[in-house]
Amino acid sequence: MQVTKKTEFKGFEKAVNLKPEEVIQVVKKSGLKGRGGANFSTGLKWEFTRKSPNPTKVVICNADEGEPGTFKDKLILTENPSIVIEGIAIAAYAIGAKFAYIYLRAEYEYLKENLEKAIEEYKAELDKIELNIDIVMGAGAYICGDETAIMNSIQELRGEPHAKPPYPVESGLCNYPTTINNVATLANVPLIMLDEWDDLRLYSLSGNLDSPGVYEMPLGITTKELIEKGTPKEEIKALFFGCAGGCLPYDPEMKLDVESVNEKGAMLGSCTVIAIGKSQSIPKICKNIAEFFVHESCGKCTPCREGNFRVLEIINKIVENKADEDDLNALEDLAIFINKTSLCGLGQASNTHIKTALKYFREEFTK
Amino acid sequence: MSQIMINGVQFEAKEGETILELCKRNNVEIPHLCYHPDLEAQARCRICVVSVNGKLVTSCNTKVIDGMNIITENDEIIKARKLNMELLLANHDAKLEDNELGKVAKKLGVDKSRFDKIQDKTVDDSSAGIHHDNNKCILCGRCVQKCQTIQSVFAIGFENRGHYTEVNPYFNHGLGDVSCVLCGQCTNVCPSQALMEKDYTKEVTDAINDSDKVVIVQTAPSIRGTLGETQGMEPGSLVTGKMVAALRKLGFDKVLDTNFTADLTIVEEGNELIQRVKNKGVLPQITSCSPGWVKFIEHFYPELLPNLSSCKSPQQMFGTLLKTYYAKKNNIDPSKIVSVSIMPCIAKKYEMNRPEMKDSGFKDVDYSLTTRELGRMIKDAGIDFANLEDDKFDPIMGESTGAAAIFGATGGVMEAALRTAVDILEGKDLQEIEYTGVRGLKGIKEATVKVAGIDVSVAVAHGLGNARALMEMVKKYPSKYHFIEIMACPGGCVGGGGQPAPTNSEVVKKRSEALYAEDKGLTYRKSHKNPEIIQLYEEFLKEYGSHKAHELLHTKYTAMNELGD
Repeated sequence: MQVTKKTEFKGFEKAVNLKPEEVIQVVKKSGLKGRGGANFSTGLKWEFTRKSPNPTKVVICNADEGEPGTFKDKLILTENPSIVIEGIAIAAYAIGAKFAYIYLRAEYEYLKENLEKAIEEYKAELDKIELNIDIVMGAGAYICGDETAIMNSIQELRGEPHAKPPYPVESGLCNYPTTINNVATLANVPLIMLDEWDDLRLYSLSGNLDSPGVYEMPLGITTKELIEKGTPKEEIKALFFGCAGGCLPYDPEMKLDVESVNEKGAMLGSCTVIAIGKSQSIPKICKNIAEFFVHESCGKCTPCREGNFRVLEIINKIVENKADEDDLNALEDLAIFINKTSLCGLGQASNTHIKTALKYFREEFTK
Repeated sequence: MSQIMINGVQFEAKEGETILELCKRNNVEIPHLCYHPDLEAQARCRICVVSVNGKLVTSCNTKVIDGMNIITENDEIIKARKLNMELLLANHDAKLEDNELGKVAKKLGVDKSRFDKIQDKTVDDSSAGIHHDNNKCILCGRCVQKCQTIQSVFAIGFENRGHYTEVNPYFNHGLGDVSCVLCGQCTNVCPSQALMEKDYTKEVTDAINDSDKVVIVQTAPSIRGTLGETQGMEPGSLVTGKMVAALRKLGFDKVLDTNFTADLTIVEEGNELIQRVKNKGVLPQITSCSPGWVKFIEHFYPELLPNLSSCKSPQQMFGTLLKTYYAKKNNIDPSKIVSVSIMPCIAKKYEMNRPEMKDSGFKDVDYSLTTRELGRMIKDAGIDFANLEDDKFDPIMGESTGAAAIFGATGGVMEAALRTAVDILEGKDLQEIEYTGVRGLKGIKEATVKVAGIDVSVAVAHGLGNARALMEMVKKYPSKYHFIEIMACPGGCVGGGGQPAPTNSEVVKKRSEALYAEDKGLTYRKSHKNPEIIQLYEEFLKEYGSHKAHELLHTKYTAMNELGD
């Protein structure tokens, strides 16, 4: 696996021998895209932050890996924390930041020591660019993985997102221009600097499988290539792309890339794939996911706060065979408009699972 | 300037304008709920969605971009708005026609929700003046913004997550047990009656119907400039005569005027200032007529309590005199008097219940009603307010001056005090009495006035966020000012927590103008020239700041921590 290679700050050394703008160009040219799920060009994000007029810049490493079924960052932080620290240092050098924060998922507290050791080990390197890296423990909320909510949380405010614009690159942490990158994104950066990088993704694969785990493969492989790695326990009928990405019927020949998944109504996001066997009930899985969103909605905007609560009410009826046609219509309305009118990414994706499940597995909801 | 297409028509937008602002300016209607013109858009309710290039966005916080193509109504938009409204109504337990939420729901054509009603939230009755029912709350967040951003009190905030989110004070306390100062600004912006004044209209009506009681009412300076709005009149309508007539129709035995004791406050407080300056007392002297402000300083700046004027507020001076001076003069047994005040304020309900407010030997004020409560009484009694014949206040404690009239606007107390203090110190009857430097809606106003050869430096702040900023200045530069006026509410009493909805800076401006117009039209415009005040001192109090005046008209304060201990 390339992200577990020990790069020992050699990528950083190469970077600081270039001008910051040149580092940005290298990353831009590499085509590296954010691994958190939004797939935005990392180099471009850095460039926007660097060009933002306020001279004080901030880097935040988003280690609040909260998407159910996702565990790629955990693997990197466990096996190769120093490559993440190196990635942060390169990002900070490129945008001109003296302050960096790692926002670590509350459940990953046991990994904090690993990171602290890595920071300590490379302190001399970090001092070269006068970079201070602080680890901030997450407060335990899924919403704090959202880039605007993460900043609130670091500032010890309520973990609520705010509308964009302003984007963090213009006005982020404490209103300073801020680059927020995912752990896996930053882990790729040293390899890019060393020219030892392939554009591979970390698929978090789980479900009705004998060998769930993280698999490093490129975008565009077929679902079959991935699922076979996991060794299915039974015939697979559906794939869930985490909680937020929705589901699709299992088509062995379907390509796993952003466009192919999007065009069918689901979202590949951070490459989380949960394989569902044919003995499983899709409505019951949807119930699980709905419970998750009811629990994790921050409560700021109406559709996500109240809508998801009502979605769960209806799904409970469906699972108990008490739903009627009106309920199903209400569920469909809710799913469409919660996604369309919610304030942040959480709400806007909170019903992709209902929308796609109703599209592809409707008969399971009506029987 | 950017060119924006709205529903196929071209409009010119201003730099930095939001879609909603642009549409409002051009009379393109967009239903909205959590938006408030004086607060930063939070985009919580998601009612004001419009379609931009085929995507739904909230118009309240989306800024226009040159070339934008906006649709404000189509099937998708209507469906989205209605669904969000249904989601809100499912958790809401109040009569819809009474409030802003109801009006917006009606506009959207939603009268009920397809979802089951859930009423599982906290109800808090611990405050002396505010009733808080989270079962009526739609989490628009305006109250929290007012309390935190505008007032800097932070008594309430969001608690819990998702559907279980509530607006509550900190540490599971009730509003009555925290540093809430009862300014009532939260009730003023609540669109759904989740936060509202504690209603005492029934108690007052019962007292009126009790033949054994003598029910006497006083009306605060600002009420005559705002009561009309509760009866469908335009903001800024001055309704002094109709207000008196309506109160008589409601059955109050005497209708008197808080403006009388506003004049008295000026005379006593002006005298206190002169004494402090002469005797090298603690300066700056800070006004004490706004009870929300008094509670604020007790909680947050107890070290500055020696600066606070010892004068009671006009409401409390009135209450004390009513059951002593007035009762004696009119041969009424004070134990039979029910003393009612009509106030722009919710903190007045708290103030009248303070243990020290019993200098008459009785509870000085028995009930304090807000403008809104009086408005409801007038409506419930079926009084045709707009067509009432003007009536006049009863004599003795009914006469007042222009100086009292402007008490209701920020800077008014300062201006009134200057009119009296300058006259007294210079021994003249000055004709130039309009101190426009302390008027207007700027957050903190400063002025220097030459009085008997001394440069007197004064400052005025309204809204507690501004008050806090000014107190920080006082701590940093203790000798910068001589006299400071503070009003807890933005705009002063015309923007009070008990005033009719909607209250916003535009409406507040119109209300202030009404009060300044009242001032201009009055025979007497200086408090110390009020013939009834002169009579009060001759017959009862003897001189300014006399022993008796101190006994009845002055008070003490208590330092408190954030939990009110």
